Amino acid sequence: MQEFDVLVIGGGASGLRAAIAAKHAGASVGLISKVHPLRTNSAIAQGGLNAPLGKDDSPDSFAADTFLAGDELCNRDVVKEFTQEASKEVIWLERMGVPFNRDKEGRLDLRGFGSNSRNRTCYADDRTGYIVLQVLHEQFQREQIPSFEEWFVTSLAVEGGTCLGAIALGLRNGKLDSFSARSIILASGGFTRFYLPSTASLGTTGDGQSLAYEAGARLMDMEMIQFHPLVFPKKQGLLITEAALNAGAMIVNQKGESITDLKGMPRHKICLSIHHAMQNGGGSVSLDLRPIGKEKLRGYFPQTQELLRTVAGLDITKDLVPIRPLAHRPIGGIETNAAGETSVPGLFAVGECACNGLNGAGRLAGNALTEAVVFGRRAGETAAKHAAAGSKKSFPTAKVADEEKQLARIISAESSKDSLGKIHSELGHLMNEKVGLVRSGTGLQEALGQIQSLKDRYSKLRVKNPSRIYNYELTSYLELGSMLTLAEVVALAAQARAESRGAHQRADFPERDDTNWKSHTLVSFVGGSGQLQKPVAAG
Amino acid sequence: MKYAFYPGCVSRGGCPELYPSAVKVADKLGIELDELKSVGCTGAGVLPQNISDPINARTFAKAEQLGLPIMTICSTCTGVMAQANYRLKEDPNYREKVNKEFLADEGLEYKGTTEVKHLLWVLFEDYGIERLQSLIQRPLKGLKVSPFYGCYLRRPPEAITPTKELNRRKSYLDELIGILGAEMADISGKGKCCGFPILSANEENSLAMVAKHTGESKENGADFMVTPCPLCHLNLDGNQQRAEAQTGKEIDLPILHLPQFVGLALGFDPNEMNLKRHIVSTGDVESKVNMIS
Amino acid sequence: MQVTFKVYRKDPEKDGKLSRSNYTLEVAEDATVLDSLLKIRDEIDSTLAFRGCCGRGYCGECMMRVNGSARLACTAKVPDYTKKGPEISLDPLRNVPVIKDLVFDWDAFMWNKIKAVKPWLEPEGSPVNGESLTSDAAMQDLRKVMSCFYCGMCDEGCTVLPVDFDFLGPAALTKAYRFAFDPRNKGSREQVKIVEKPKGIWDCVHCYEADEHCPRGIEPTKRIVALRDRAFNSGITHEAVARHHASFAASVKESGWLDEGRLAVESEGLTNVKGLMKLLPTAAKALVRGKAPIPYMHSKRPDADKIKKIFEKAEQEEK
Repeated sequence: MQEFDVLVIGGGASGLRAAIAAKHAGASVGLISKVHPLRTNSAIAQGGLNAPLGKDDSPDSFAADTFLAGDELCNRDVVKEFTQEASKEVIWLERMGVPFNRDKEGRLDLRGFGSNSRNRTCYADDRTGYIVLQVLHEQFQREQIPSFEEWFVTSLAVEGGTCLGAIALGLRNGKLDSFSARSIILASGGFTRFYLPSTASLGTTGDGQSLAYEAGARLMDMEMIQFHPLVFPKKQGLLITEAALNAGAMIVNQKGESITDLKGMPRHKICLSIHHAMQNGGGSVSLDLRPIGKEKLRGYFPQTQELLRTVAGLDITKDLVPIRPLAHRPIGGIETNAAGETSVPGLFAVGECACNGLNGAGRLAGNALTEAVVFGRRAGETAAKHAAAGSKKSFPTAKVADEEKQLARIISAESSKDSLGKIHSELGHLMNEKVGLVRSGTGLQEALGQIQSLKDRYSKLRVKNPSRIYNYELTSYLELGSMLTLAEVVALAAQARAESRGAHQRADFPERDDTNWKSHTLVSFVGGSGQLQKPVAAG
Repeated sequence: MKYAFYPGCVSRGGCPELYPSAVKVADKLGIELDELKSVGCTGAGVLPQNISDPINARTFAKAEQLGLPIMTICSTCTGVMAQANYRLKEDPNYREKVNKEFLADEGLEYKGTTEVKHLLWVLFEDYGIERLQSLIQRPLKGLKVSPFYGCYLRRPPEAITPTKELNRRKSYLDELIGILGAEMADISGKGKCCGFPILSANEENSLAMVAKHTGESKENGADFMVTPCPLCHLNLDGNQQRAEAQTGKEIDLPILHLPQFVGLALGFDPNEMNLKRHIVSTGDVESKVNMIS
Repeated sequence: MQVTFKVYRKDPEKDGKLSRSNYTLEVAEDATVLDSLLKIRDEIDSTLAFRGCCGRGYCGECMMRVNGSARLACTAKVPDYTKKGPEISLDPLRNVPVIKDLVFDWDAFMWNKIKAVKPWLEPEGSPVNGESLTSDAAMQDLRKVMSCFYCGMCDEGCTVLPVDFDFLGPAALTKAYRFAFDPRNKGSREQVKIVEKPKGIWDCVHCYEADEHCPRGIEPTKRIVALRDRAFNSGITHEAVARHHASFAASVKESGWLDEGRLAVESEGLTNVKGLMKLLPTAAKALVRGKAPIPYMHSKRPDADKIKKIFEKAEQEEK
């Protein structure tokens, strides 16, 4: 058994930041990640991270832009804390080694991005996320925090309503082990892999949300899923940073006509414009990066250039890039307050798997990375404090034996005509169709029915591979389970919100309804299924 | 065909058989050599760039004054010079800085027009293979030969094989073996490192590399190995017996320099090619060669 | 299109038993090797172990050899590999310990070596004073080096690793460069010292294979050479290498070219009897064949004084 004051689950930007902060606050920390930290999705974030560092900028202006992008659903106190702490965190990152782009005076260069009204986005070429992730990992290693890489968390240990740790399967040694901790921070990322195609990676399956949900935590605003407007639509979509639009790229329809000036629009509006252009006989839509110019493309968008070449065979200095809005990042997630606390004592959540009300109904471009470090630090500090104050509770070791039995139950050599891949494929397709960019009541009801039948099929499937070492069939099985659980929650929440706001668009309720719906949806796991709770007012 | 000849340090130091054989072969081929006498060692990858780049810039400037391209007989010289030349040509500001700070005192200036070519490249690119073939008097039939280029003659790409056409430089030695009438005993390590650069830092690894490449060559039936680099020769030949002692396995593979190999095919006697100087006996090769006639 | 994948298998639960499995299946015209592997695992053989993460070429996880050449499975398009026939062989990388099937030990291959170079910045100033002021040129170089996505191709192509797996390798040494050449790093001197230890920069043969293999043009070999040059200019701490380099530099400085006899002797060290004795057998043979340059009996080249001037100027500049 492993014992820590603070256990962090998830090795991306927010998890690493939380781990470092908890260590600095005096806690003993351990981190579990199902892939190596440098392989996590933080690497795909390209555009940059926001901070009100400019002379003409202020936390208030930053807050106003955040509210606007969030379509009036953000929680004020969370936004306030965020906009006040952002600069400090970004400077800390720079001092720890992030080689941000500089202006002529040698200061951090700030660029325009998305619907930010001021230039406030710090960036490192178009690999900001990846470089920030590396620096966080460097500092994480400096702290000598034990890191359990390629360990898959199978359950959270909850006793008497309190979270006492986790049980995880080590892929390399095939052993199930218990991780006892006073504070457990989930930083496990998004869940958009249940949209096919999407910008998700293979493992973006919402394991953390599913674990928290089944442990008693509530999932907030799950219907709010940010679609990214500029994605080259492969099965694992390749996104192009919106900074390209700010730099002069144009979105054109099939006839080559430019779609109305989209520069400076919030993401969901750009997505809708493209969506409508495609629907209204426009056919396919493309991104024209050529106006940016060869030199600037090479200088400022090297990663974009390389990936589109190797993955899509396109030369962005010459070719148009076919794009489509695809599901990108969840805005909703495990309900937490600004400090990262969930409704389950001992359980915290931060980053993309969490929802503290910062982003409301739409995330301002450039806020995600800043969010990861600002609240990553906060959650780490809170968790450390909680661990120091709490009394030691013994880990319910019987749960490990239970877990072994559970795993044994799902392993069986019997063959089936059905498969994980088939179920996943159907789920991915139905989610894009019925729980996509624009939803409708009937579509969502159908979706719920279809999800249920997929769940029934899933319950009949077994894992044929009896091995414990690098058994990816087993982990895929568990991941699909998470995805089915969350798909249902998303559809439920989307069905409940009878309005259109930010990332959630209802064809049957096209207007925003501030009277009834200036609030957050909440779903709990009760009696084996998702139950809508009374929405909580935003503000 | 006239070249500013840069023989390097080892061809008259640790491998004194190389210089005279190269000169004889060039003469036979009709390649005129104007030796650059008052120039310095390239640095061989040991001296740091802030010292070796000016030294090499000076060499290039001297050749430029003669209006001649440089010909080398050592892979390491070629590679180090090609890299320095690439830097000086790519960045005119850098070249200007080097000229101003190091060459101006002597009244020298490198304008960036010098070409550096190894004899191996000269044969294929300037001299012409047909012409070479017409001068072969003793096709080396029945001999199996392994090529060993020396890393510096193959990489880095921007300095050595900057175009698709010049990518062929990676197979010249393979081709030459066939052209001279011999059969190739190919080895997986022909483009890899012989280990010479790490002799002081890690002798064990250095000798392991010698054992690996010469061992593979022997296993593939080679009569000898040919290399265009005297530094590789120093390790592959000079330290072969120490490599045998380290691995406990006999190798006994003679190593020839490129000009010696060409010279034998042109009709020179093994003695004229100074084969007796080598550490690993070339006796068997000499007998075989003498039998062809 | 129908393709047969011939995949390397290793079973750690059966004493590391090796085998090869052949899978024939229909794949889409635009399928990648990773797409195909996922299909194999879902429909044919769920025991096949392979890694895949981002699926679109940026995370570096799915490295394997496709028909013998190392590359990412998620960007390897199947039609590119079936031009000579409908068979594709898949193997783990060279120079790596394999755990199971295509899953190899990234820790031993790379992560542990990176840890060994102390891969973090020790900041010079405090964040309290705002960001450090620095030119974009220095940061640009670092961004280039940090575009490394740990794909391992440089290590896979390395000449030294097959002979000595403990060599730190180009990936880890490039990471060391990132810290040694970051002007904001208080510990940059230490970084150089760490990689001067055995298995570090002096074990590199600078064959430039790494530069040829790197898919991002990071030029790992040049970074290692830069570390070596910095060590030379600030004082080499590896004793044997220091002797070698000092001797080389001294003879070129004094005479314009290399005195190999002197180099051989001084590299071992004039008082290192054991080392010098080691040279005797080869030296004796060389002497007999007229191949041994006598140390210190070395003529100066014409213009040796000009070469000396270059040394002096360069040394002055370094200060």
